[in-house]
Amino acid sequence: MSERLKDIVVSILFIVIIIGVFIANLVLKDNDISISERRKLAKFPTINSSIFSKSLTDEVEEYAMDQFLLRDEFRSIKTFVKLDILRQKDNNELFVIDGNIHKIEYPLDEKSVLNVTQKIDNIYNKYLNEDFNVFYSIVPDKNYFLDDNSIYLKLDYKKLNDIMHENINSNIKYIDIYNELAANDYYNTDTHWKQQNIVKIANKISKEIGFSDRITEEFETKEYTDEFYGTYYGQLGKKINPDNIEYLTNSYIENAITYNYETNKEARIYDIQKADLSMDKYDLFLSGATPIIEIRNNDAKTDKELIIFRDSFGSSLAPLFTQAYSKIILVDIRYISTDLISNYISFNSNQDVLFLYSTLVINESGALK
Amino acid sequence: MVFSSLTFLFYFLPIALIIYYIVPNKVKNLVLFITSLIFYFIGEPKYVILMIVSILSTYIHGILIEKYEKHKKKFLISSIVISLSFLVFFKYTDFIIENVNAIFNGSFDLLNLALPIGISFYTFKMISYIVDVYTKKVKVQKNFLKLATYVSLFPQLMAGPIVRYSTIEKELDERKYSFAVFSNGVRRFIIGLCKKILIADVLSDVVNSFSTVTEKTVLFYWIYAISITLQIYFDFSGYSDMAIGLGKMFGFNFPENFNYPYISKSVTEFWRRWHITLGTWFRDYVYIPLGGNRVGKLKWLRNILVVWILTGLWHGAAWNFILWGLLYGVLLIIEKLGLLKILEKIPAFLSRIYVMFVVMIGFVIFSVSGMSQIKECIGGLFGIGVDKIINKESIYYLLNYASIFIIAIIASTPIIKNIILKLKKKVPKAINILEPITLLLLLVVCVSYLVDGSFNPFLYFRF
Repeated sequence: MSERLKDIVVSILFIVIIIGVFIANLVLKDNDISISERRKLAKFPTINSSIFSKSLTDEVEEYAMDQFLLRDEFRSIKTFVKLDILRQKDNNELFVIDGNIHKIEYPLDEKSVLNVTQKIDNIYNKYLNEDFNVFYSIVPDKNYFLDDNSIYLKLDYKKLNDIMHENINSNIKYIDIYNELAANDYYNTDTHWKQQNIVKIANKISKEIGFSDRITEEFETKEYTDEFYGTYYGQLGKKINPDNIEYLTNSYIENAITYNYETNKEARIYDIQKADLSMDKYDLFLSGATPIIEIRNNDAKTDKELIIFRDSFGSSLAPLFTQAYSKIILVDIRYISTDLISNYISFNSNQDVLFLYSTLVINESGALK
Repeated sequence: MVFSSLTFLFYFLPIALIIYYIVPNKVKNLVLFITSLIFYFIGEPKYVILMIVSILSTYIHGILIEKYEKHKKKFLISSIVISLSFLVFFKYTDFIIENVNAIFNGSFDLLNLALPIGISFYTFKMISYIVDVYTKKVKVQKNFLKLATYVSLFPQLMAGPIVRYSTIEKELDERKYSFAVFSNGVRRFIIGLCKKILIADVLSDVVNSFSTVTEKTVLFYWIYAISITLQIYFDFSGYSDMAIGLGKMFGFNFPENFNYPYISKSVTEFWRRWHITLGTWFRDYVYIPLGGNRVGKLKWLRNILVVWILTGLWHGAAWNFILWGLLYGVLLIIEKLGLLKILEKIPAFLSRIYVMFVVMIGFVIFSVSGMSQIKECIGGLFGIGVDKIINKESIYYLLNYASIFIIAIIASTPIIKNIILKLKKKVPKAINILEPITLLLLLVVCVSYLVDGSFNPFLYFRF
């Protein structure tokens, strides 16, 4: 290629690309959501009095990033360049080990851990007393199972546990489930644990709280989907084999219904309708995130109730306790203030109480109300 | 608006190029002026009027200097005072108030004014113009549109290079367009884009971690110092490359602003290669008018120190910038008084280590806020006040960014350029085929970083 021809090619290629992309971005319809990232995409900002503010420029740039032509493909290119060509260790703090996506959760935020202990104590002091059977347990995130020699940074789990133990009311008993779990108990593409792998956790907790004798019926495993792309998958932007979502059921679970205090709607414990429509298939378990949801066991042979203060890890664990209680109430204080709980729940000593939080929430507890 | 944004690349630039190239030559300057005002308005909506008033003042003073020869000195001083007063008011008032409060135990409220982007650059351009009119180096520009186009020209409006009026005087009247110049501009622009997005912005993650890292080790301080040194170079020279490239796309030839400063063998050489247009501006409009080196030794030393304190102040209204400027002033004096001769005799790698060490310390002073952080960071490099030499977190940073450090260090030398030039002599056709492919791939990678990234303003917008 001659020098002149090269100059023509470079010039025309550049002009065609920038004008072509400009026209394509104008012509193509804006997307409402990013399925891979599970979030709403920015819309073109409404131009009003803010025309004199710098934030308008930022909003337009955000719109341009969100609605860019072949956005997912470009994000994949970036991940490929960072991880595979430049051999950087993470992309957007996500990294892959043996096909398993992890997110760097670091460093330990001691104030956040203390905040969790204060929230738990507040609830205890406000609604509970020594007549209640109260427990707490900590769900480690999957980074806990990274090899100690791995270069990746992870939380100081010992310190986290120590702060929790030292600061939580001594009437609340601790159930240690760290040693029951392993790396393969978690989805490869998501933060959560797999329900089919946590019967051992249900057993441990039921023994510690003392209701193991009330769970007699075996669980049957059913598959919901073999194409589950979890939260981390979309954020990473790299091809990883999907997970499958299996769920455990028995006659008690099949006959039970859930009642959502926010929507006043009833549903099945495994809400297939919701999951089918949702971007997050983990919503299969108790219909996803919500302030208060109740599992009503229509075949209960006991009047005992269980209240679980929890994050999303509790959604897949709680169904395994169905047979043992007439009612299981799950409260997520990320979506409801602790002061308002008594408007919906009446506390009595016939209830067992479990605080179940993952290290992810404990280390970033600003959302707890 | 920044060049390294999707809105600039795929909205602003295509529209600007289409309109610019379809209108007849006689209205091209008008298109450029309006385009530049829109560009500035998008980034700094409140201060467009300020810039237009400044240009108008310079324009009128230029005409008055030419018309009233006897009073031209008064008009020169008046013009410079007006231009500088805008700069001083917006940039230095709070710094002055802070120091007055500190010295006299006062309690004057700060104004907390936002700094108009690019004001340090366009003020210097206007001063160079008016001084050159005064000294008759250039003819007065009687066409307001042409002068306004020169000052506000969007490729170099926000962060330089500080283009002299004399450099583009002819091009304001008539520009030549060719595929060779345009493709040269595209190449420079994409190289600049890569410097900014793939190196400077990536290293900014390390630099920003300075305040979040849990435990700083000696290794971390070194990683930080090296990162900030590389980040500032790639950010600023990347911007200059993009500005020069855009200038070529619109038919202008802007001066070079960087010439591989990190291969310098003395601080004197470093400042001939770093921010060249600023260095020459201070030489021509401050150092030489003060008498330069054609005065007694004491005055000569004073002249050097004045220039370097002003250079420091130009970069920011804070004591660390003055200290940074002063450091270079003192080093340049030491070099001129004899160190230069020693540096010429010792092996090149030793003199380069000396320069890089000094530059790195300089950029640590430049980048951190407050004297305590300067002490902490420089002390940290030598293990003072630090418990550990190394920890897992520091090792992670080192390994995570190792490839970026290697690429950045190589790219801050002319090695790649020299290899390409040699290959071009041997296999010109192959290189001509590879060039468009490489540029295309680099553009795609830059866009992928932008699509997945977040907004990162240029460091030199602060100045």
